[in-house]
Amino acid sequence: MITDKTKKYIFLSVAFISIVLFIFWLAYNPVKHFNASIPGLDHRPEHKPDTVTTVNIGEKFIFIKDHTSSLKGKWPNFRGADFDNINKEEIALIDQFGKDGPDIVWRLGLGEGHASAAIYNGKVYILDYNEAKKTDVLKCLILETGEELWRRSYKVNIKRNHGISRTIPAVNDLYVVTIGPKGHVMCVSSDKGDFLWGIDLEKAYGTEIPYWNTGQCPLIDNNVAVIAPGGKSLMIGVDCRTGKVIWETPNKGKWKMSHSSVMPMTYAGKKMYVYAAIGGICGVEAEGKNAGEILWESKAVDANVIAPSPLVLDDGNIFVTAGYGFGAVILKLIPDGDHFSAEIRQKYGPTEGICSEQQTPLFYKGSIFAILPKDAGSNRNQFVCCEPKDGKIFRWTSGKATRFGLGPYLFADNKFYILDDEGNLTIAEADRSKFKALSRTKILDGQDAWGPLALADGFLIMRDSKEMLCINIRTQNDIKK
Amino acid sequence: MSAEEKNIKLTRRDFVRKGIQFSILGGIGVMAGGLLPKLVGQEYVWQIDTKKCTHCGRCATSCIKTPSAVKCFHAFDMCGYCDLCGGYFRQGVKNLNTGAENQLCPTAAITRQFIEEPFFEYHIQKDLCIGCAKCVKGCEAFGNGSLQLQVDQSICDNCNECSIARDCPSNAISRVPSGKSYLMQGINWKNET
Repeated sequence: MITDKTKKYIFLSVAFISIVLFIFWLAYNPVKHFNASIPGLDHRPEHKPDTVTTVNIGEKFIFIKDHTSSLKGKWPNFRGADFDNINKEEIALIDQFGKDGPDIVWRLGLGEGHASAAIYNGKVYILDYNEAKKTDVLKCLILETGEELWRRSYKVNIKRNHGISRTIPAVNDLYVVTIGPKGHVMCVSSDKGDFLWGIDLEKAYGTEIPYWNTGQCPLIDNNVAVIAPGGKSLMIGVDCRTGKVIWETPNKGKWKMSHSSVMPMTYAGKKMYVYAAIGGICGVEAEGKNAGEILWESKAVDANVIAPSPLVLDDGNIFVTAGYGFGAVILKLIPDGDHFSAEIRQKYGPTEGICSEQQTPLFYKGSIFAILPKDAGSNRNQFVCCEPKDGKIFRWTSGKATRFGLGPYLFADNKFYILDDEGNLTIAEADRSKFKALSRTKILDGQDAWGPLALADGFLIMRDSKEMLCINIRTQNDIKK
Repeated sequence: MSAEEKNIKLTRRDFVRKGIQFSILGGIGVMAGGLLPKLVGQEYVWQIDTKKCTHCGRCATSCIKTPSAVKCFHAFDMCGYCDLCGGYFRQGVKNLNTGAENQLCPTAAITRQFIEEPFFEYHIQKDLCIGCAKCVKGCEAFGNGSLQLQVDQSICDNCNECSIARDCPSNAISRVPSGKSYLMQGINWKNET
């Protein structure tokens, strides 16, 4: 028999053990050895714009010789005269490289980067970075020979970060405007290289220079340089003659500078500048007393890295694409009084349709052409074609055996000229029904041959990370003419 | 000579001496036997060919070991030391900081450290890595491909039939000589087994 006293002891013992276990359970932390992943573990310092270092933009000049050219071809800025990457000159171009390979006219060693050339009336303009002297250098060369005519430079300390230079100058009869890797805008005369003015975007506008340095190429429109600094002004128009800022677009959304460039567009009687910033995309009034006013904006473009520029399609449609997992969006502008609203017509990820990581796609005869990004699944890095009405349906792809990396391409004389990462140049037939490569040759050593191509007067200029090269792609018959 | 005389001649000292001689000879024989395969032939171990690997993620689950003997290795010579690292951050991330919500690695096996503007260094914590290849895929898609999957030879049991090799859809795993037991790109490995 269990006595009451025993029962009492048993009860007290059980109660005591239960309380001890309960306290242990309460006090025990099974995840006490876990390390919380919280912001700040990388000890990243707070970002502060460089307001201390003074860069004397355009400080040094070396004149080598005068030159007058009979050539009148123009590829005056990023994506050519009409910002469409299409050369419209009436020059017959080769469709085969032949036994002897391409006709290499000149080669030029450059600082590491992706900065490419503008061509204007027989002269070539490049904004290079001299790693030894630590200077941004605007070089003016003779198109036919590669000989240097003059150079204007300024000291600026830049560290290598997947290359350094990556912009293309904008040139017209009077001016050359450049944007350096750290946002230094410089304007000089296009003939003699005389310094006119400079703006340090980081200091003047609080611009946050994007990862891997500035990629935005300037635009000159009616002798006004159009630049998108981000910071306190989303976009500015600068009189090329005086350097005076004649209009500014306030940056209410605190959007940041992207690698994308400003593209002109005219729709429903309005001329506007379209810019895809980090934060959103907008159209800015380009002329008249309201120049600089925002006509429309959209946050449909919410990528954190945007390298391609907006591609203006027909009927107020705009194709915007970015890499790093974004894909693409097709916007349709709808007039709304003096302004517009931007309607999302289609939006999809990188594996679902046509998009691009680095190069701006090409719009020709109602079709979009692009090289797909690395994260586009089995079609990655292929050259593809589709209709703007549905970016998810490919008319054709270049096939699994024909990939181009992140390389540039342009359209001329009814052909595509496509450079791949490794410096192979492909000539392909411009056909909306199928991809057909006509000829292919190894032309550059090819580490990161990403700089956009430039073509004028039959001279095609390309580069890899360290060398620029010019080839003559006129047909023999055309040369005889 | 009689049997008695023979017994008398084999003294205890002789017995010990002969015993030592036989022991030394035996030891040399065993050592030679052990070294012989290394001199005339090679052992083989399982390894991943990074050029064939498609980062399918099966290495994390197919290995008989938990966590898998396949780990992410970092070829520092190939790394761009980017702030926006495709192997560290999830796609579309807005804040480039070390918050868990921004990280691609499900086990936080990658640590990043600020070096100088604009460079960051990334390290793999092997004990946390499960070989899922998410970072490898991200690095391949958006970076230089410096993060690569390899069988960690210090963990691998070197099974006769590797269960990962059996499941690998791209036949990226094969036996390689133990003298060259790592097949990473961008690294000159010291031979290690």
